[in-house]
Amino acid sequence: MTAIGWVFMIVSVGCVVSWVVFCYWHVLTAPPPPPDSET
Amino acid sequence: MSAHKEQWGTRLGVILAVAGSAVGIGNFLRFPGQAASNGGGVFMVPYFCALLLLGLPICWAEWTMGKIGGRLGVHSCPAVLGRLGGHRAWRYVGALSLLMPTVVYLYYVVVESWCLAYAWGYLFGTIDLGSDPTQYVAKSAAVFTSFSGSDADGLMFSGRIHCSVYFWLFTIAANFLLISGGISKGIERFCNIAMPVMLVCAACVLIRVLTLPPHHDQGETRTVLDGLGFMWNPKPVHATESTWAALANPRVWLAAAGQIFFTLSVGFGVIVNYASYLKPKADAILSGTTAAATNEFFEVCLGGLITIPAAFLFLGIAGASMGTFGLGFNTLPIVFQYMPAGRCFGFLWFFMLFLAAITSSLSLLQPVIAFIEEALGVKRRTSVLVLGVFTALGNLFVIYYSAGLTALDTLDFWTAQLGILVFGTVEVVVLAWLFGARRAHEIVATNAALHPPRWVFTVLMRFVTPALLLTVLVAWCYFNAGGYVATLRAGSVPLLSVGVIGAVLLFMLGLVFLADRRWGALPRASPHPTGVPTTKVESPP
Repeated sequence: MTAIGWVFMIVSVGCVVSWVVFCYWHVLTAPPPPPDSET
Repeated sequence: MSAHKEQWGTRLGVILAVAGSAVGIGNFLRFPGQAASNGGGVFMVPYFCALLLLGLPICWAEWTMGKIGGRLGVHSCPAVLGRLGGHRAWRYVGALSLLMPTVVYLYYVVVESWCLAYAWGYLFGTIDLGSDPTQYVAKSAAVFTSFSGSDADGLMFSGRIHCSVYFWLFTIAANFLLISGGISKGIERFCNIAMPVMLVCAACVLIRVLTLPPHHDQGETRTVLDGLGFMWNPKPVHATESTWAALANPRVWLAAAGQIFFTLSVGFGVIVNYASYLKPKADAILSGTTAAATNEFFEVCLGGLITIPAAFLFLGIAGASMGTFGLGFNTLPIVFQYMPAGRCFGFLWFFMLFLAAITSSLSLLQPVIAFIEEALGVKRRTSVLVLGVFTALGNLFVIYYSAGLTALDTLDFWTAQLGILVFGTVEVVVLAWLFGARRAHEIVATNAALHPPRWVFTVLMRFVTPALLLTVLVAWCYFNAGGYVATLRAGSVPLLSVGVIGAVLLFMLGLVFLADRRWGALPRASPHPTGVPTTKVESPP
């Protein structure tokens, strides 16, 4: 495994893991949608 | 038209259901093979570009279309397209969104049954390649041939019915049992269990692969790091090229775009249907982005670290360079034969593939079932029965014409590779140009926990994504269609397969015709500034 191979792997996996953490953090901390009471 | 009251139960439930739809066999078998054969780590550059410029915009477009459709009380793509496009003709264009999932389901569920058969084989020890490593390749190929019947047409029914037919019967029964449960009690409940189980299975196999000892083969010693290197080191596509030449190769960019389309399940109309069951004030963008991120995690972080490194460790370049099915059903059984506790990990792997496949096949059925319900005004059970009988006949076609997997390959090319590009283009044009990018953004940004930038809708979706899609479409036809058109002239099975696609399209167009007559004229444009009323249900579509 070359150094540039490590770079590609770590950057790719790191980006995706960061993205997943960002999304699920928002999903789990976002307030629930307002109730569906319609006019 | 009947007003459907079905909705997703929870925010996490819809995310896992859509992620389950996207995570499939391709994440673990197709992606690693594509990356390794298209420049290794360099492949990730066009891959992430395609994700940002094509995948996510179309994904957000489909979520937006679905959210609007749900607020209008319609769930099927033809109805949604008719409303957003502002003309009844768009309902007929929407038949493409019924054609693709149906045709893909015809062969996908067969592959799904192979995964189940392999999982069963590892669980009960019926898949054993013996103790002579020189015979592993031949025996593994023989096992796959016996399950797929790839040696000759009709093998599955010659003499006595092959056991793989029983696995197929079980698989379709499981699919239709789950889908008849509906959105919340069927799909959502199953995906809430299946997705975490898949994650655990994949994590177990990943840890096992990354901790494997070096393998000695004919005087050569290979380590897991060598396998990771084969997957991630930048390398030329052709031996005579430089390392970075892959970046200038249009075929590599095309492969990346095709992989993104296939993996995110965009262009099938599946997400439009799933998103239409969101609660009216639920956030579509956050759910869509999280589902896409989950899919990428399974693809890049699990698929990218398991399949190729394991295959390369035990079998070298030859084993790691096979196609999707070769890698999955020929190479990996050999890997598990070499691997300590391979039977246990073989079961975990193929069971995970089966779960990944069934969560995807459920999503292929749901849009068509929703459409039959809306088009004919029938209940879900009737709709499930109609589609069950229709698709079972199609499955038998794929199972019978099994020689060289030609029928499967032909159906896959014209729908899952070409068709989704066409329909993805249609979706973006209808939303961004006919309905209006600003209106779409306004609707989707209301109550959003994750605010989408407006320029994604007004610039990317209107100009960049359609232009790229058309470029990809033309390039795809230029590079790939010629070979498949030639096979139509040469063989009867490819021609028959295209005939099956045509028959399904006619069937769907017939249903759209009935639906169009039943739904009648489109209602007048809404006076509401967003074009969509806040009332929950409006009919007819």
